[in-house]
This record gives sequence, structure tokens and C-alpha cells, in this order.
Amino acid sequence: MNLSNHYHVRDIIFVTLIGIAFGAIFISTNFIYNFLTVILTPMGLAPMANDINMGIWVMAGPLTGFILRKPGAGFLGEFLAAVGEMFFGGQWGASTLISGTIQGLAAELGFTLTGYKLYNWFSLTLSCLTTTIITFGWDMFKNGYTEFSFNLLILLFIVRFISIFFFGGILTKMIAALLDRSHVLTKFGGTNV
Amino acid sequence: MSNIDIKNLSFSYQPNVPTLENMTAQFEVGKFSLLVGSSGSGKSTLLKILTGLLPTFGGEITRGRITIPNQLTVGLVFQNPNHQFTLDTPRHELEFVLENLRTNPSEIPNKIISALSFCEVQHLIDRQFNTLSGGEKQKVALAIVIAMDRDIILLDEPFASIDPKSRTELINKLVCLRDDKHKTIIIADHDLLGYQSIVNNIYTIKNHDIQTLLHDEGRKLLTEFEQQSPTINCTKPASNSSISFMFNQLNISIQNHKLLNQVSLPIPKNKVTLITGENGIGKSTLFLSMTKLMKYHGQITLANVDIQSIKAKKYARQVALIFQDSENQFLTVTMREELELSKQHRKTNYFNDEVIKECLTKLNLLALLDQVVYTLSEGQKKKLQLLLMMIVEPEIMLLDEPLKGLDINSIHQIIQIINGYRGQHQQTIIIISHQISGLNNFVDHQLHFERQHLTYLETHHES
Amino acid sequence: MNPSFKLILIILISFEISFTRSLITNCLLIIICLLYLIINKIPTKTLGIILLVPIVPAVALSITIAFFTPAHDYHFALVLFTRMFAYVLLGTSFTLINSPLELARSLEQNLNLPSKFAYGSLAAFGVLPKMRLTILTLQKAALMRGIRLSFWSPKLYFKALLIALNWSDELAQAMISHGYVEDTARTYAHKISIKHTDWLYLLVPLFIIQPLLLMLP
Repeated sequence: MNLSNHYHVRDIIFVTLIGIAFGAIFISTNFIYNFLTVILTPMGLAPMANDINMGIWVMAGPLTGFILRKPGAGFLGEFLAAVGEMFFGGQWGASTLISGTIQGLAAELGFTLTGYKLYNWFSLTLSCLTTTIITFGWDMFKNGYTEFSFNLLILLFIVRFISIFFFGGILTKMIAALLDRSHVLTKFGGTNV
Repeated sequence: MSNIDIKNLSFSYQPNVPTLENMTAQFEVGKFSLLVGSSGSGKSTLLKILTGLLPTFGGEITRGRITIPNQLTVGLVFQNPNHQFTLDTPRHELEFVLENLRTNPSEIPNKIISALSFCEVQHLIDRQFNTLSGGEKQKVALAIVIAMDRDIILLDEPFASIDPKSRTELINKLVCLRDDKHKTIIIADHDLLGYQSIVNNIYTIKNHDIQTLLHDEGRKLLTEFEQQSPTINCTKPASNSSISFMFNQLNISIQNHKLLNQVSLPIPKNKVTLITGENGIGKSTLFLSMTKLMKYHGQITLANVDIQSIKAKKYARQVALIFQDSENQFLTVTMREELELSKQHRKTNYFNDEVIKECLTKLNLLALLDQVVYTLSEGQKKKLQLLLMMIVEPEIMLLDEPLKGLDINSIHQIIQIINGYRGQHQQTIIIISHQISGLNNFVDHQLHFERQHLTYLETHHES
Repeated sequence: MNPSFKLILIILISFEISFTRSLITNCLLIIICLLYLIINKIPTKTLGIILLVPIVPAVALSITIAFFTPAHDYHFALVLFTRMFAYVLLGTSFTLINSPLELARSLEQNLNLPSKFAYGSLAAFGVLPKMRLTILTLQKAALMRGIRLSFWSPKLYFKALLIALNWSDELAQAMISHGYVEDTARTYAHKISIKHTDWLYLLVPLFIIQPLLLMLP
């Protein structure tokens, strides 16, 4: 495993804990999802609850990729959290693992495309975009998005991108700025490289 | 046999800020050594260097060296009992540990049983760590070091959050390990009770340096500690005093382990009440219940209103818990930003810029305004945290071990700042503290926590 | 059945039903999983809770597909409805019966997963129950300073990351002081083997399900 060389056991624990910590924050947003679903269903827009919340669920990917700055971080951040969630958190079972894998790969792709050299608005936005496109593609099948009219699909896609860009892009950048100024990651990065 | 030899050792986490400086000492192999020092003095750092965890996990040895003789192996029991296990049960953890050491699988079950039996915790073998008490976890942690057959056993404040009975049991086990198995024991502790008859050598860490105490000096230190009077001057609250908190039929338990069972208890308003009691008895948990972070049965009222019926935000602005871990309460990056943030949420204009500057000067923090709060020393963090919480002016402050790691001068300054505020405004203060020197004349009442019960103490004037 | 094989089987089936539209197969999977869980003595109450989980999204999605799409495809609405329950039951057929440790050991021994991934993530999962309370504590501590940390507040995530950072440091130090060394050989207290029957358990269901997925409506 090529990826393996980049990671020490502490990195793996850290990345997993990020997913777990964010999961603990997202639990408090479950009511928003349920509320939106109940409101949007009579309007025929139930799936939009999914798209509105998507950013919260996937932000661990762009964030870990962006702050750890090494290959695989975006994927692991999302994937290991999904493994934890499968066993301990939600009961979404096997689909959590599949979604986690897909979301992880999607977030990773943004950083892969910039060769793991660029860590700025561009690569972060790219990661948000790849995450939007790939998770949307997955929902075409998994959640039956293929049935929707083209106009609705456009709307859902835009909503999803805004959500992912807000949490995975804007928030991530603000969080990274705080981390950067507090120098806590330099201590962490020191023994990784 | 030769000794563990520390020679001219200097260590720093950040460049030019030494945690240990030019430290020289020797620890005798096969002996029981006690390392004394206030929190933040560098005890943990020294033990982690001996284990090899530092500088691997940060910092740098800038000078000197440590020599451990004859390839003796080192094991460590950590201060925080919660984060020292990889797996979920003692059996699984011990399997993991023995697998790491490449133990022959056929020997693993016996080694596990004998290590757990030595610490008398074999009945816990398949229990989830999450359901064990702090004392039980530390016994399992010691069993692990025994299963690993380490020659040198280091313990970093292992009793910080565990009850005195478990503490005594663990100390007895350590004596057995020294006498029967010729292990070397080095233990860092700030509570010096119970060491008088067993310890061989005593060291103190202060001002980045270590001192080896002569036999008589060590005895004197332990004796003085044992003779410390555990009470301070205080009276019972007057029956007609106005009341802030009131407990009715209050029951608090953790995992079926009952901590508090209190029929009725008033806590007087605008007074300073000190809560004392042994480790692990439930003092901090009580604070968590009083701030609605921990479930309880029965009723807690504040000014005759059930606290459960007060809105979270309003309640948080009335009752502030000053957490033991100062970092919990920091929200930004630099000290200046933290102060600005607190200033935005003042209730009156008492803490104006001038007063704040005066406080910072008193607390020796003024020069550090632009420093990242997470890089401050533990004592500086605590002083800043206390100041930040003072500025937002809670009506009631719950202080959980606020004096830990503070020197006596800082304690006086803080009390002066609090008294200054309380001279003009009403404020109720409840403190949990092991350390009571420096608190005399500040505390009005003392509540003692014992056998699931809180009782007001009364002292007759002596000094 | 070997845990790694079982997980692979479950993931492959979950993946396949995501791309196919066989209502009967979904129902068959639900029945088989329920039987499997009942045979393994999973309490009815636990099963009940599990079946409640997907209700809201499953109902909402099916209603949308059935009544608010151009095609009004009732069959597909039911496929999506049953698919959600199939996902959940397939997943719980693993998680309620196999522990994370069993899986980690199997992945380490049978699929050569580097042990640092297996045990590093397990160490993190160990503090999972404490994380929720810790996040609440952070929020409460901030509220005591007059600041509300919502799920869109960067400060909340920043604090959460600092917690993750501190805990990962402590946990990694604990692992190392418990004798763990990355990328070195370890012995195994419990040897997990791949038997011939494991291959049968993996391949037979896969062979059976392919024609079902393609042919049954």
C-alpha cells in the first residue's frame, strides 16, 4: 500500500478522530434534516433535504485533505469516519461504508488533480466540486435521481454545491486559518514528514 | 548495579523555552523513587523522556543525555486513565500488548491471567473500559506493565483522579513489585500521603531543575505534608442567610455507582463556599450536574427556580463553571483576541480597559498579549482563564481546582482581583480545591464531601 | 464465516442493489437478513429500532418518486423504499454480529491491512462515546462566556480539531508504550484463517443473486 508510507499511527488516529468529532457535531443537525424532509416532501422536493445537508456530512473530506496536505488524507478522513459510524453511530449499515468511500474518493480527487502541490482556494474549490459531482452521480442511482426532471436536477445540483462549498470550502478555509495561526499543526506535522 | 543516569539534561517543547534545564540526577535501580513537584513543573516531561516518548512526540533534547543501564526496559502508567487503552476490554488490550511483544500465542492466556490476578482485577477481564472506574483502569494499566515484564515502572501522577482506597492498594502492589520482583519504581505525585514507610528516594522538581533530597530532608517533606491541617477557618452558614443553590433529594451516579445522595442542602448567596473531599468522590461531577452537563435525579434550584426550567443561554450567563482544563474555555488564538471576546460580553463596566490592564500586570501576563494561548504554560493558561471568566461577570462562579499549578503569589493576586470585584458587585463563589493554603480569609464556608453526603464544617478559631 | 469475506459479500450486494431495480430481490434480502438476525438471537426490540431508522427518508423518497416525478414510477418507488431497509439490514447483519476487533484482526491477518490502520482506527473508536459529551462541554464552556457555538461556527470545529489533536497524541503515545511498533511483525493471540467454506459462503450467494437481480422485477 503506497498510501501507507505517508501515515503514522498518530495520523491515523487523528484523522479518525476528526471524523468522529464532526460526527458528534452533526448529530445535533439531524433534526434539521428530518424537519426539512417533512416540509419538503409535500412539495415534491424531499431529496433536497439531502442536498441541503450534504455539506455538513462530507466536510471532513475536504478539511482533512486541506489541513494534512498529504495524499490520501481527504479519503481517509471521510472513510474512517464512515467505518466508525457503521459500527457505533448510525444504523445506516453497509451504505454508510459505500457512501463514505465514494465521498472520500470524491474529496480526494480535488487534491489529486492539483498534484498535492496546491493548497489554496483553487484546490479547495476543486475538491468541493469533485465531491459535488461524484456524490451527485452516486445519488443518481442510489436515491433514484434519474427519475427527476432535468430542471429539478439542476436545482438539486446547485443546492448541493452551495452546501458543500459553504461547509467544505468557506468553513474549512476559516478553520484552517485558525489552526494555522495557533501553530498547533506544526508540532503535529513535525514528526510526520 | 548501575543507576539510571541523567546528566545535564535540557529539554524544550518550544525553542528557547526550556521545560527542563541542565538537570542532573540518578535513580537507583531496584528502588522506589518519588518525584515531587507542582503540576506543570516538568515531571511528566522527564518521565516521558525516560520512556522514549519524548522527543519522538515533540520537543527537543537541547543538551545532555539519559542513560538507562543494561538494556533495562521501561513501562509507563499515564496520568489520564481514559486515553491509555487501544482496545475495548482488558482482555483485548492485553492480547494486543502481548502480540506487540511477539509473545508466543500459547503463552498469552496465562500471562494475561497472572498479570490481572497480581493486581486483583481478574474479574474485570471482559468488562468494557468505558464502564470501569478510574481506579480500576489504573489497576489494569499496571497489570499491562506487569504483563510486559518491564524492569522499570514509571507512573505519572497515576492517582490524580482515583479514590484513596484504590490508591493505597496500588501503592502496596508497587511495593511488592520492588521487593519480590526487584522492579524499579519511579512515581510522580503531588499528594505525598502514604509514602513515608516505603519510599527509598525522594526528588523534587522545581524551576526546571531536579533536586535529590537527602534522607532527612525527604522525611521532613513527607512529615510536613502529613501534618498539614486539612481545615481552614470557616463557619456554618447562618440560618437566615439568602440562598443561591438549593439541592432537594439530589442523587447523582455514574454507571450505577452512586456518588451523591443528598436530602437537602442550601448554598448561601454572595459567599465563598469551599468543597473538599477525597479524590474520585464526585466533586467535579457535582459541578457538571449543577451546570446541566450531567444528568441527576432530584432537584437543583437557583433562587427557588428549578435550573432545568431556565433557558440554556440565560443559565450559562448566570452560572459559570471554570473548568479544570483551562483550554476548554479558550475560543480564539491569541490572548489579546480572547480578552476582546470576553470584553464584548461584559455585564457592567467594572472591567474597563484600565482594570484589565492592571489585572494583567498583577498576573504577569501583560507582556504575553500576542502569544498564542495554547503555547502558554499551564499556570499562565489558568490565570488567563480565570480573568476571562471574571470579565464576563457571572453571578455564580464554580471553580474546579483553580489553584492547580499556581504559585502562592499568583493565588494572592487572583484573590485580590476577585475581592475587588466582589467589593462592588454581588457574586457567589463555590470552589473545589485540594490545596487550601492561600484560601484562608477568602473562604466563608466549607462543605465536606464524604460518604455520598455534603456537610458544612465549622472550625473553632486557632490562629 | 471469515469476517473480511462477510464484509466483502455485504458490500458487494449493497453496491449491486444500488444499481438494479428488483423489488423481489430486495424483499428476499430483507427476509434473509431478518432470519439471520433472529437466528443469531438479536433482541426484537433492537430489530424494531433498526427498522425505524430509515422510515423518514424512505417514505419521503418513495412519495417523491411516485407522485412528483414525470414518470410516476410506483414500482421504482417501492424499489427505493425496500432498498433502504435492505441496506440497513445487510449492514446490521455484520455490525450486530461481528465486532470491530474481529474485523480488524481478520483484515490484518487475511488481507494484509497494515496493523497501524487496524489498531489506529480502533483506538480512535474507543473514545467515540466520550466525544459527544466533549463537544457539548465545549459548547457549554463557550456559552458561559456568552458565545454560542453552532454547527456553522468555525470556532466549534477548531476546538473539535484541537480535541482530536490532543487525544490522538495521547492515544498514540499509549499504543507505543504498550509495545506497539509500526510496520513490524506481531504474533496473533487468535489465528483467523480462511477456510474453503468461506469461499463457498462468499461465491455461492453472489452467483445466486446475479440472475435474481437481473430477471426478477
